[in-house]
Amino acid sequence: MVRRRVPEDLRQAQARMTHVSLHGGPDPAARAAVVSVPGRLATRAWWRSHSAQRLAFGYTLLAPAALYVVLLVGGPFIFSLYLALTDASVADPVATFVGLENFRAAVEAEVFWIALQNSIVFLVVAAIFKGLLGTTLAFLLLQNFRGKKIVRGLVVIPFTLPIAISVLSWKWMYDSQFSVINWALSGVGLIGSYGSPDWPIWLGQPYLALAACIAVNVWRTFPFSAIVLLAGYTSVPPDVLDAARVDGCTFFQRFRHVVAPMIFPILMIGFLFDTVFTLSDLSVVYLLTQGGPGNATKILPVLAYQIGIQAGALGRGAAIALFLVPLLLPAIFLVLRNLKRRE
Amino acid sequence: MAPPRTRGQKEVRRHLLIYAGLTPFIVIAVFPIYWMLVTAFKQEPDLYRMDLFPLWFHLPPTLKNFQILFYQTNYGAWIVNTMSISAWVAAITLLTAVPAGYALARTRLPGAENIGIGIFVTYLVPAIILFLPLSRVVADLGLQDTWWALVVVYPTFTIPFCTWLMMGFFKTVPMEIEEAARVDGCGQLAALLRVVLPISLPGILTSVIFAFTLSMQDFLYGLAFVAPGDQKPVPVGVPTELIRGDVYYWGSLMGAALLVGLPVAVLYNFFLDRFIQGITGGIGK
Repeated sequence: MVRRRVPEDLRQAQARMTHVSLHGGPDPAARAAVVSVPGRLATRAWWRSHSAQRLAFGYTLLAPAALYVVLLVGGPFIFSLYLALTDASVADPVATFVGLENFRAAVEAEVFWIALQNSIVFLVVAAIFKGLLGTTLAFLLLQNFRGKKIVRGLVVIPFTLPIAISVLSWKWMYDSQFSVINWALSGVGLIGSYGSPDWPIWLGQPYLALAACIAVNVWRTFPFSAIVLLAGYTSVPPDVLDAARVDGCTFFQRFRHVVAPMIFPILMIGFLFDTVFTLSDLSVVYLLTQGGPGNATKILPVLAYQIGIQAGALGRGAAIALFLVPLLLPAIFLVLRNLKRRE
Repeated sequence: MAPPRTRGQKEVRRHLLIYAGLTPFIVIAVFPIYWMLVTAFKQEPDLYRMDLFPLWFHLPPTLKNFQILFYQTNYGAWIVNTMSISAWVAAITLLTAVPAGYALARTRLPGAENIGIGIFVTYLVPAIILFLPLSRVVADLGLQDTWWALVVVYPTFTIPFCTWLMMGFFKTVPMEIEEAARVDGCGQLAALLRVVLPISLPGILTSVIFAFTLSMQDFLYGLAFVAPGDQKPVPVGVPTELIRGDVYYWGSLMGAALLVGLPVAVLYNFFLDRFIQGITGGIGK
């Protein structure tokens, strides 16, 4: 180990520690207390004297990550604001400033309002179902039973499987003719056989198609809701609950006054994360229906992709994507506040 | 039913109730995967017999679907692309996120807490807002239509997440260990490299796993930036290249999806609690 360049005050601190611990009192706790005070003070003084060097070291370590994020997240975000104000397109690299024209064009198109409405319906309906399923599952997983680890491992698979891959399985299950779901429904007599008028074509009928897309989102994220709830619940120290029980609180009171306030922040963050990811996800709808039939499942991300990349109108696409910002901003802001409070 | 008398009977009944409650969840969660598995090994005519029980084989299982994948499509290339992309993304993420996490947790920078939260919040800026401007960045770098585009872009979400993860991790490493090394005469960098990093290996490994699994969750960037068939990663190649117009080779599709999806799902499964801790800010608490 390198022995040179040890600061003088550090040497003194070290000497003092050795001295005190050699001649300390008989009680180890008292000795520890005696040692820690001068040791701490000396260390702090030493930190201060080296603060410039320390800061330089810290900023150097931080710089690569900070630069990457600033250049490739911050930069593009600002750039997308600029793009939205121009007529930039894939074909024509020279963009001219057009003001708010792209936003005006978006708002005037009927399809934009359909997409906005679908996005909101998607978000709300999916949130209700994953909340219900997630809460029930979390309640069951809170119990003690054999094989819990295996059960947990199985039920979280939808969340851990890459989304673009699991959607394919659903696409096959929603097949217009060979749908295994329809086979089951027909088997128990809920619908007729193939060709009968009540045979659902999941991805071909407007309301069914939206429901089918929502179902995939719910399937994928209900384990996430459950696990977040569980994480929240296990963060409540058992002795606090015991204390409440000893004080004569009923189950409901314990939940209302002890558990709920403690798990609420975690739930909130989980919910907000899910909001951001559900609102901005394009893969489920894009792979199942591409927004069809008609515009029945068109949501804002799909519309932005189709206009920005497929039609090549970068500026108009960016403008549509930016309409997501007012929807996302409250969620991001609340996550920020929650995280800060937890720190 | 007679009320249960002994404790044993009560336990059994309780277990039965819980299992009964869990069964629908397990079926819902696992059925799509089971369905993929059966489909992947079925012969083509066996897929389209609605009059027979579809959940099992009526013709002998076959490996033909996988042969098609490896001999007649770019599947092999997609796997290689995915591995290369993941390796590069993991390397970039480690080289940036580990030092940054350490700096924010340990060097007492003014405002470190806010900088940390600031970096983490960029994880919440979704791809759908960034992909159009990033398509310009990728084009200017001359990387459009190669998988290198994704190597540049994926760290935009792995770095924020892993920096946050490592920051939480370094906070749990006792300060005394590092101070002891400094007292022994180590410089700041030497203390980091020789003392702190070796005991942080579990955290670093976790970051690598997340760089890999989070990259696998992307679809939009791959779809938007990489058009040539042999340059795509698996999650993008399978749904875009294996479906030709209206013709679906369901057997091969399901095989392709499973072969890569399952290992990723299993790996992610082991680290799921870390992910949840990470996003709820509960690391090191």
